Amino acid sequence: MTQLAFNSFLVAMLSVPVVTLISRRWTKACALPPVLLMGSLAAGVAVAAVGFWGGQRFTVDVSQVASFSFALSVDRLSAFFLLLICSVALPVILFSSSYIPRHYAGVRRHWLWVLLPLFLVSMVLVVTASTAFAFLFGWELMTLFSAGLILMDGDSEQRRHNIFIYLLMMHAGAAAVIGAFLLFLPHAGNFREMRAIATLMPPPMRTAVFLLAFVGFGTKAGIVPLHLWLPRAHPIAPSPVSALMSGIMLKTAIYGLVRFAFDFLGGGPSWWGYLVLFTGCVSGLLGVLYAISEHDLKRLLAYHSVENIGIIYLGLGSALVFTANHVSILAALALTAALLHCLNHAIFKSLLFLGAGAISDAAHTLDLEELGGLQKRMRLTGAAFLIACCSIVGLPLFNGFVSEWLTFRSFLAASELTNLSAAIVLPLAAGVLALIGGLAAACFAKVYGVAFLGRPRSREAESANEVSLPMQAGMGVLATVCVVIGIFPGLVLRGLGTLTEELLPGAALPPTAASLSVLLPWIALFVLVPVAGIAAFKRAKKLTATWACGLPGLDGRMEYTSTAFSKPLRRVFSEVYKADRTLDVVPADQPYFPASISYRSVRTTSFERSLYRPGVDAIVTAANRLRQLQTGNIQVYLLYIFAALIALLMFMRWV
Amino acid sequence: MGLFETAAAKALASSGVFLFMTVLLIAAAKRISTCIALFSVQSLVITAQIIAVSRMHHSAEGFVVAVLVLTVKVVAIPYVLYRIVEELQAPRDVSSSTSASQSVFIAAGLILLSFFAVRPYVGVLGGDQAMLAAAVALVLTGGFLMVSRKKALMQVVGLLVLDNGIFLAALTTTFGMPLVIEIGIVFDLLMGVFLMGLFVFRIRDTFDHLDVSKLRRLRG
Amino acid sequence: MTLAMNAVQVLLLILLAPLVRGVIARLKARIQNRHGATVWRPYADLVKLFRKEDLVPDSASFVFRLAPIVVFATTLVVAAFVPLLHGSALLGVSGDFIFLVYFLALGRFFLMLGAMDGGSSFGGMGASREALVSTLAEAPFLLALMSVAILAHNGSIAGMVQWTIGQSFFQFSAVHALAFMALALVAIAETGRIPVDNPTTHLELTMIHEAMVLEYSGPSLALIEWASAIKLTVVMALLIALFVPWGIASSLSALALVVASLVLLLKIAALVLTLALVESSVAKLRMYLVPDFLGVASALAILAVVFTALMR
Repeated sequence: MTQLAFNSFLVAMLSVPVVTLISRRWTKACALPPVLLMGSLAAGVAVAAVGFWGGQRFTVDVSQVASFSFALSVDRLSAFFLLLICSVALPVILFSSSYIPRHYAGVRRHWLWVLLPLFLVSMVLVVTASTAFAFLFGWELMTLFSAGLILMDGDSEQRRHNIFIYLLMMHAGAAAVIGAFLLFLPHAGNFREMRAIATLMPPPMRTAVFLLAFVGFGTKAGIVPLHLWLPRAHPIAPSPVSALMSGIMLKTAIYGLVRFAFDFLGGGPSWWGYLVLFTGCVSGLLGVLYAISEHDLKRLLAYHSVENIGIIYLGLGSALVFTANHVSILAALALTAALLHCLNHAIFKSLLFLGAGAISDAAHTLDLEELGGLQKRMRLTGAAFLIACCSIVGLPLFNGFVSEWLTFRSFLAASELTNLSAAIVLPLAAGVLALIGGLAAACFAKVYGVAFLGRPRSREAESANEVSLPMQAGMGVLATVCVVIGIFPGLVLRGLGTLTEELLPGAALPPTAASLSVLLPWIALFVLVPVAGIAAFKRAKKLTATWACGLPGLDGRMEYTSTAFSKPLRRVFSEVYKADRTLDVVPADQPYFPASISYRSVRTTSFERSLYRPGVDAIVTAANRLRQLQTGNIQVYLLYIFAALIALLMFMRWV
Repeated sequence: MGLFETAAAKALASSGVFLFMTVLLIAAAKRISTCIALFSVQSLVITAQIIAVSRMHHSAEGFVVAVLVLTVKVVAIPYVLYRIVEELQAPRDVSSSTSASQSVFIAAGLILLSFFAVRPYVGVLGGDQAMLAAAVALVLTGGFLMVSRKKALMQVVGLLVLDNGIFLAALTTTFGMPLVIEIGIVFDLLMGVFLMGLFVFRIRDTFDHLDVSKLRRLRG
Repeated sequence: MTLAMNAVQVLLLILLAPLVRGVIARLKARIQNRHGATVWRPYADLVKLFRKEDLVPDSASFVFRLAPIVVFATTLVVAAFVPLLHGSALLGVSGDFIFLVYFLALGRFFLMLGAMDGGSSFGGMGASREALVSTLAEAPFLLALMSVAILAHNGSIAGMVQWTIGQSFFQFSAVHALAFMALALVAIAETGRIPVDNPTTHLELTMIHEAMVLEYSGPSLALIEWASAIKLTVVMALLIALFVPWGIASSLSALALVVASLVLLLKIAALVLTLALVESSVAKLRMYLVPDFLGVASALAILAVVFTALMR
């Protein structure tokens, strides 16, 4: 029965583009694609829920019908990620049902409704694939469809350059993933067979598989230093697409890494865990530090995705270290924390991007320096955005805190290990996580405070209006889920507990996680009752002007800007930024009465400067040297063929 | 054992901890007088350790050394240095090339390094792990002070801390050096400090400053 | 019965907090050769403020009035995690020190937002400086608490207290010393006392916490002031509970509780005296020297955590 539901879910998703194409002439049917898509996503949520909490498995096996190995199979891990995809995509599509008609007309709108379901289907393919071919098929399709969706927003020179870099890095990552699969493939093409083969592999080969998977999936996930595409691609996409890319697409990379490291390879030596842990620390810190210095809202959110992937990697790294030390219970705790953070991040990051979409819809700008005072004009958007900010910072009573708490508990428990390096490194990683959390709090106080609070800083912000009802509903649903998981995480934690028990041999969710689900509602009650009580108490209030030291008329220009807010932190961490600063005074010989002064400060170029540019230059130099082989003389080319023939003969003779 | 005995025993057992504290504080210190005071405290802790070790081995020499260290390193040398600082009437800050928190992190790293360096030898050499590690940490910190502080007086303080470390290392491993050598070292130090005091005034009069990093004419 | 006791503990903390503040102010005044206001002055201030009306800037949103309530509620919760008289706390649970750090962060977050909602430059300035200080203080706070938790093999503050009571005072280790120093430095930063922030300054450029609450008046200001006093008392109680908890009642008999109250008063008096002395003798740090201050705390906390493994 549920197998039928799964099949019909796939068919329904695939039918949306078809329906869009057929109905594109009928303006009355413009609501049909989103409704159909939402319906199929709802079916997907139901199917995934049955698979995740119920443990049902479904398979779709094309290889029985056709001759190529394409099969889908949903086990608990796939069901969890399928649940993530469908339940987060549902509110996003609800949002887009109103956002897309407002911002895109004609052909672009139809293309969006064709590409969006295809993009979602490709992600479903990736997480439910059970053959290497199906996985890679979906993987490549994800990149292509998302690039297509980004193109829908315009194709200026700058945008095409960014999309090019995006495609380039995605394909480089895909090459590594293909390499990882290829190391299995002489014997196996099916995940079941891969699991069996992996136990027989010699350790160097297992390490090779792990490293290729780490690099390949890391490029897609956006760890430092492979993160360059994230702040280029996510900001230029339409807001719902950014939400899907940042919220869901990055998680498919986590799915791939978990599948490889825990399911196929079954854990490995400690240094794998330390590598992932170290990468997580660096990505988390650098991501949030770069985010603090941004004032374009979407670029800022893109860097925060890097930071949260770093936090997920912290959990995954410690899970690997625990597996290497044969402490499965703690490994289960760390893995649960990492997977829960995947879900939480998908929810609050999509909410943040939808909020950005709402802001751009209302105020037509995403530059924080031009916004302000939006909370009074956009009540629900602001409230939902506030909930998302609290969640991403990891404040208690919101969902981000639950996964961070579990990560902290796993670090604390690491001190009991007998392995000295693990007992030292893992608790120190807790300090790094605390620092990351503190920096995130500073950054989001800046974002929400500058964009939504205080006075408007521009005409557009003054005239912003609340967005339409479907957009509000989409954001509202996500915000509610944030709070619900934050106070009642029990259901999700139980499901994840069963999941990790299946994934890691001999594991069981430790009692700390269970006790959290019991105590959190009481703690929430203890906080919310005073808040509600005091808030309900009618206190007299009188509206006045803000105190301006007796001077008349404060306006938006006298408030703190986003750049000003982050200055102290940027100054303390100035070693990280190494900004390129140029100051032009025109005319140069009149320093005190210039006609114009322009100041340009470009940050976040240090990786491009120190890592990528030398690498690219080296490749270009090598290619130029190789070019000398191409003389253009036909006799030289004949010589090459002749020389290759002689070499082949000698090779065969002496081998 | 009475309360005093317990307290004394505990204090001695945790003198390693006190020394680590002084290492961190001397790295974070901003004034020369603070560094001198911390050196004095370090010497006091070492004196207490000498007394404890001498009681354990019932050696009278040890008490003589303790008295010597007390008078010279805890009282005389710091007093001389304080007088020099006052006479100089120069700014009393420690001109450091690293900020306070960087220095503290480096000092913490040096402490960890000394722990890891000492681990393999704990069983072999005898002596307690914390004291041995504290000795190595003092040596390294003395070196760090000499390298990172630009004032000439801080070079002296760094040298004194380094010597404290060597002394402590000798104390923990071989329970002290022969008396004659101890006396010789201590008086050498005293003479060294007096000479440095004289030189500091000469340097100041010739160059008008005491910034060691600017004394670069020692080239070929 | 234990539940009632723990609830009484929380109530006691809330009601005594302004007194602690008053005593510190009076002591400082005496040390600085002034008369000083009476120690009951903060209570009078609170009563006065609660009777006035809230003045709300016309550009502010609901966050402006919500922020003081959230700040107050989070300090209430934090008070429920710390054992005072009896070796258990109202909401004590394994891992509650993480809740403690993060509930304080929640309060601070909303305070920063409330400051920015005021719409003046001072609010933004206070929030930006507070962001700097709190970011750098969170890591050493958590690491220092974690080192004590690792030492006690117990994740809850009440559990750490029980473990420490089982040891004798002379069994303190390097970890304790380092963690205590780190926590003392962080406590100064978290509660906004000299040398990090001057709670009695009237110069806006030297303010961190005060600049954030410049726009508040009436009951909102009362809630914020009270919450700030509770936070100071809770942090003191935390230091006492983790490092010198001897004297805490182990049973619920009246005698034990009376003794525990007296011992607690003595310890708080000692801490208050130390704080007053420090505040009167040390100058406030320039703002860009505060990261150095907190860097020292971080180094101490990191060393504390590493030593828990090294000195096993």
